[in-house]
Amino acid sequence: MNLQIRSKSRDPLRSRSEIILRNTVVASLILFFLAFYFIPIGIAFWGSFHLWNPLKGQFRYTGLKNWHNVLNNQLFWYSLKNTGLFSVIAVLARIVIGLLLASALFSRLVKAKSFFRTLYYLPTITPMVAVAFVWKNMYDPQFGLLNQLLGTKINWLFDGRYAMLAILLLTIWKDFGYAVVILLGGMYSLPMDCFEAAEIDGADACQRFFGITLPLLRPTVLFIVITSFISYFQTYIPVMVLTQGGPGTKTQLATYLIFDQAFSKYNFGYASAMSFILFLLIALLTALSFRASGRKEQ
Amino acid sequence: MKQFTRRAISLVLTLVMALTAISAYGEGSAVIGSTIQYDPSKPVNNGEDIAIEFWYWTGADKLFQAVVDEYTAIHPNVKITLVENPFDDYWTKLPLALQEPNGPAIFNVHNSHHENLIGYLAPYVIPVEDLEADFVGVSAHIIDGKVYYTDYGMMTATMYYNKAMWEKAGLTEADIPTTWDEFREVAKKLTIRDENGNLVQAGFSFNGGAQGDVLGMQYQYGQNLFTADNKVTFNNDAVRSVIQRMKDIYEVDGSGDYNFGNNSGDNFGQGMIAMYLGWGFMHGLFQALWPETEFGSFEIPTPTKDVPYAYHRYNGESTFGINKNAPADQQAVAQDIVRFFLANDALQKQFVLANSVFPAKKTLAADTDIMNVSSIAVLAKHIDRYIWPGPMPSAVENNMKIAIEDIFYNGADIGTALKNAEDTCNMELEGSEFESVEPSYAHASEAK
Repeated sequence: MNLQIRSKSRDPLRSRSEIILRNTVVASLILFFLAFYFIPIGIAFWGSFHLWNPLKGQFRYTGLKNWHNVLNNQLFWYSLKNTGLFSVIAVLARIVIGLLLASALFSRLVKAKSFFRTLYYLPTITPMVAVAFVWKNMYDPQFGLLNQLLGTKINWLFDGRYAMLAILLLTIWKDFGYAVVILLGGMYSLPMDCFEAAEIDGADACQRFFGITLPLLRPTVLFIVITSFISYFQTYIPVMVLTQGGPGTKTQLATYLIFDQAFSKYNFGYASAMSFILFLLIALLTALSFRASGRKEQ
Repeated sequence: MKQFTRRAISLVLTLVMALTAISAYGEGSAVIGSTIQYDPSKPVNNGEDIAIEFWYWTGADKLFQAVVDEYTAIHPNVKITLVENPFDDYWTKLPLALQEPNGPAIFNVHNSHHENLIGYLAPYVIPVEDLEADFVGVSAHIIDGKVYYTDYGMMTATMYYNKAMWEKAGLTEADIPTTWDEFREVAKKLTIRDENGNLVQAGFSFNGGAQGDVLGMQYQYGQNLFTADNKVTFNNDAVRSVIQRMKDIYEVDGSGDYNFGNNSGDNFGQGMIAMYLGWGFMHGLFQALWPETEFGSFEIPTPTKDVPYAYHRYNGESTFGINKNAPADQQAVAQDIVRFFLANDALQKQFVLANSVFPAKKTLAADTDIMNVSSIAVLAKHIDRYIWPGPMPSAVENNMKIAIEDIFYNGADIGTALKNAEDTCNMELEGSEFESVEPSYAHASEAK
């Protein structure tokens, strides 16, 4: 009898109210994911085989035509290449700047840590559209702050050599704070005794960083890399506000191309085919990242 | 006592004013309009109360409020709720709302979204011949003998010039150019550079939006934008000549620079450039945003002194659409509002002036107030020489924009860039129901 009571009290699911709560939460999540992810993804996949414009109720089966057109569209591949390059540079910059600033804030020498943490995180929580409009003015070739500061006469948004750099600068400035906060959190959770032992053994700051901090932070860095890649593969707001993919097609990113096909040309079937290719690429990259990190852990 | 008397007098005065206002349209007042007529004494919905929604996009609240106020003053049994949406959102929300029976009964239309809207529109009950008798440009809107919306005004490109810069350069009214060669000479005179050769004032600028200008200037050479089988044609002698001339104005004449401002419209208002080719609505925008910039207008120059096939293309500002899925009683009210709007010269004039468009209503063609707007007045002489290609899908302008930026900013060859844009555009137009109305242009037979 005693044993029965003990085993009942140990099993959290034996309580009726907890079972109801569990079932409700799980069912809600399933419904949420069904309604907002799986069903729309399924519809989009089916739509990619159609001439599809929901605004005029058009949904005509066209077989593999959209897929054929996408795969033979040079601009799509060019935009994918741009997206890949953009993502790699943005992720690298985010990690490097994030690590540098997080290490600085982690140091005992820096005072007012909360102030700096807030300051660095502010751009991250500012709406991208608003930020992009402010930066658009900063990039103005005549009145822009950037040219005034640098003493240059660059037409940042219309010169093919600088337009992508302009979008990257804005993105990096906007997002580095996220990496700082996450990495700083990671640093605070590291075992302090390792650092104390290293200090006693005479390791300097640089050796401690590369020998202890960085290896122990690998899961955090990997988390930032994966979430950043997923996020940067979907970048379109700065492109929409700053360049609309121009000059010409120099700053075309895959998601902007998809947005343009769907919401400017109302070619939802074609846009869906593009989305699926991008979706598969992101899934593949994520899987590769997990696999690589798993091997390292072993 | 004194206070009571004062109150009584003001009450009586208010009543008299209200009655006067109502009687202007109210029962027994005069029928308005010429061929399309509106009889205010006719009850709507048998005088029974009815409520409808009227959708429009941001920026025109006063205009639509005026329509509603005037209409409900005649028909107090009709309650009209105005629903405003930002322009970009409007085109996704409206077609979806029109799929439902409780969508707006009446709404503002822009012909660039024709393809997404036409399936939801009810035809006007006003006979086509009556519309044609009162308005120009109706023929381009006839579909299977019916009209679903037409134009209340025609908007096109005119050349704006800064009057102070013009005078400072020693130019007079006599110097207003009519050909592109004359224009280039004037642009040179209006250009100012500093001692280091840096541009201080551009004689002319087309930066940031030249696609709208190019897609119209090829008509001056007799070249239509679409082929007989509705394919777009960019890579032809006419478009190549237009773009080469634009390049020469910057690169040979030095009258402007690709990097001297990225938005020539704004830069004109800001006093950076002396001449700017812009559409009608810019007239109001300049007055609102840069009232200190005094400007005039002249008609777009042409390759020779001869009257061209067409000076440029125009785009119509559309009359209201009626939701065919709305309940029958709401549709009847919407039809009545359309008739009221089309018959009402005063309202037509308000809409025309607010958008600086050439009036489509024939009775307003010589209206003094409208002709006082310089950008409209310069069109009057040749208004029949402006062509409407039809409700072009956005792919046309988007692809021309890419071609132009590739040529002007990325150094691409004109022919190659135009061919790429043409091929992409025609691929994107596959499946589109767009049909060019260039063949219905009055001078279509003169096309090359």
